[in-house]
Amino acid sequence: MKICDFRALLRHALFVLALLASAAHAEPYLAVQTGLKCGQCHVNPTGGGLRTPFGDVFAQRIMPHDHLDTGADTWAGEINRFLSVGGDVRFDGQYETTPGSASVDSFALEQARIYLNASVIPTRLAVYVDEQVAPGGALNREVYGMYWSASHEWYLKAGQLYLPFGLRLQDQTAFIQTVSGINMTTPDQGAEFGWEHNAWDAQFAVSNGTAGGPEVDHGKQYSGQLIYVEPRWRLGLGANFNDAAAGNKSALALFGGLKSGPIAWLAQAELVDDKSIPNSGGKMLATLLEADWLLAPGNNLKITSEYLDPNRNVAENAETRWSLVYELTPIQFLQLRAGVRYSDGIPQDNAEHVRLYFLEVHGFF
Amino acid sequence: MLWSGGARRLAVLATLTCAGCAGNGAGLDQNGQPIGSEGSGSNEPLSANLQSIQDNVFTPICTRCHIGASAPEGLRLDAADSYSLLVGVPSAEVPSLLRVMPGNPDESYIVLKLQGSPGIVGGQMPLGGPYLPQASIDVIRQWITDGAPNSSAMQTASRREDGQTFILTGTAPLDGARVPAPLRQIIVAFNHEIDASLVNDANITLERIDTSDTQALRPLPLRAALATGDPTVIIILPRIPLGPGSYRVSVRGVGGGALADVNAGTLGADRAFAFAVAALP
Repeated sequence: MKICDFRALLRHALFVLALLASAAHAEPYLAVQTGLKCGQCHVNPTGGGLRTPFGDVFAQRIMPHDHLDTGADTWAGEINRFLSVGGDVRFDGQYETTPGSASVDSFALEQARIYLNASVIPTRLAVYVDEQVAPGGALNREVYGMYWSASHEWYLKAGQLYLPFGLRLQDQTAFIQTVSGINMTTPDQGAEFGWEHNAWDAQFAVSNGTAGGPEVDHGKQYSGQLIYVEPRWRLGLGANFNDAAAGNKSALALFGGLKSGPIAWLAQAELVDDKSIPNSGGKMLATLLEADWLLAPGNNLKITSEYLDPNRNVAENAETRWSLVYELTPIQFLQLRAGVRYSDGIPQDNAEHVRLYFLEVHGFF
Repeated sequence: MLWSGGARRLAVLATLTCAGCAGNGAGLDQNGQPIGSEGSGSNEPLSANLQSIQDNVFTPICTRCHIGASAPEGLRLDAADSYSLLVGVPSAEVPSLLRVMPGNPDESYIVLKLQGSPGIVGGQMPLGGPYLPQASIDVIRQWITDGAPNSSAMQTASRREDGQTFILTGTAPLDGARVPAPLRQIIVAFNHEIDASLVNDANITLERIDTSDTQALRPLPLRAALATGDPTVIIILPRIPLGPGSYRVSVRGVGGGALADVNAGTLGADRAFAFAVAALP
């Protein structure tokens, strides 16, 4: 990208951001705090992965507590007008206790991901790759081709993709992520149609329904969501049906966000009925309520409460989880996270009483 | 400003308390199943058999994700599915390796994933930790070394049959299942120790089913042997890994020289099961 182009982009981004009431950080609450759609900051219209030039500028000028000057050249992710790259690296130090087990303390490279977007026809046709390169061997997360209409009101993408269904959180172990089985560890192969019109945002996907595994039957999985986005609030409805030989699964999610001053609220409730789970154990309910409090630029306090009924046919089996996470973004592209996560469940299952304390270094570009 | 500062603080505090309460677990086993129900597990400590591994590892830990129609990599680890989707089934991430190769834990992908060994694709399991202690992994390794028998099915069968009648208790792939190609081995489990001298290609046959109108059966060459360390399990190795198509395995259970247990008990009837092998996408 030429410097003059970048400056125009920077001016545009800062102008838009100046219209917003407050700054924001990462994940869906960023979208709620800014009143923007996910696709404003991410190449993927449903969020996650490679950031757009707007998202990169946002990450440098708005997210951090301090901006380290890099002179006239500023990272915008674009190698040239056809090729963009990005990445995320998360490194954790954890201390975890489980009743009846020895405590565990460890350092671990949680995830390193590299993104590549080849806009072979700029703004219209792109090939996108999201590759997890660590830990373990390389693992495809998303690989798809995407075609945008000339008006940018609709798109079609096909390949391996994250499915559209509710909030796409960074924490893949959240109840609402695991109960539906739809999260960023379970991309599926298929096609997605997306529609964006003013405040409306909708996606519909047809996929194998094997969560990345090989197709084993003729049934397919259908996932969709419809979201209405206003600057201060948003409301969405997600639905999923997996026609599987092992038993059909259906899921329904109601989710939304609200901005109240420096706090962005996220909420989701989902009902799942998975007939592939034996002993009538597939009727589940999961909820999430999250408050992200922007205490100062670059300082976010995240409080999350979750509830899970793993089998609605059984009484007294509910689980809960509370998280308190402080996120400090001291400079651009670097985030430090410190948090605690308390799980609670039935007394006879020690695994439902985990206490997790963690520190995380998150680098991204 | 939508809310005052005080109301905002109260609302955040409310976030911490509105999740509801965890269940008190009354009437449930350690896996949250009603005591005495079909899905209820036991309180036995972890030992090298599938039922124990299911109760202590798969159900309480793995099924937090690996359950249901959208289980990651299509791998469901609930009690009803774990054996048929693990033993003798190619892994989705590294199809050249079986998830569980009876008799060989070092070549079993589940062990590599649990250990975080070099060569795995993606992260160590359980994803994000805490990872299983080595002592637990060693128990799973021992179960595989012993031939990865389907003890849960055998226990069910022995309860049903009082342990006296020689019966077929489980197969991998299951009857009617559809598994990814190539399929390198088939497993047939029984409730009693099998007379090794009767494990041969006269008693165990593998046929490809012609999917045309004729439904003709075409015999395929195979090698059948007892699983290393577990004489209740027969491992069938097709001479050529099975590609896409429909197949049937037959076990001769009556007549002279039919398959029998070490006490000369026979199955009393021929047994057969069929399955389909599908191409990887």
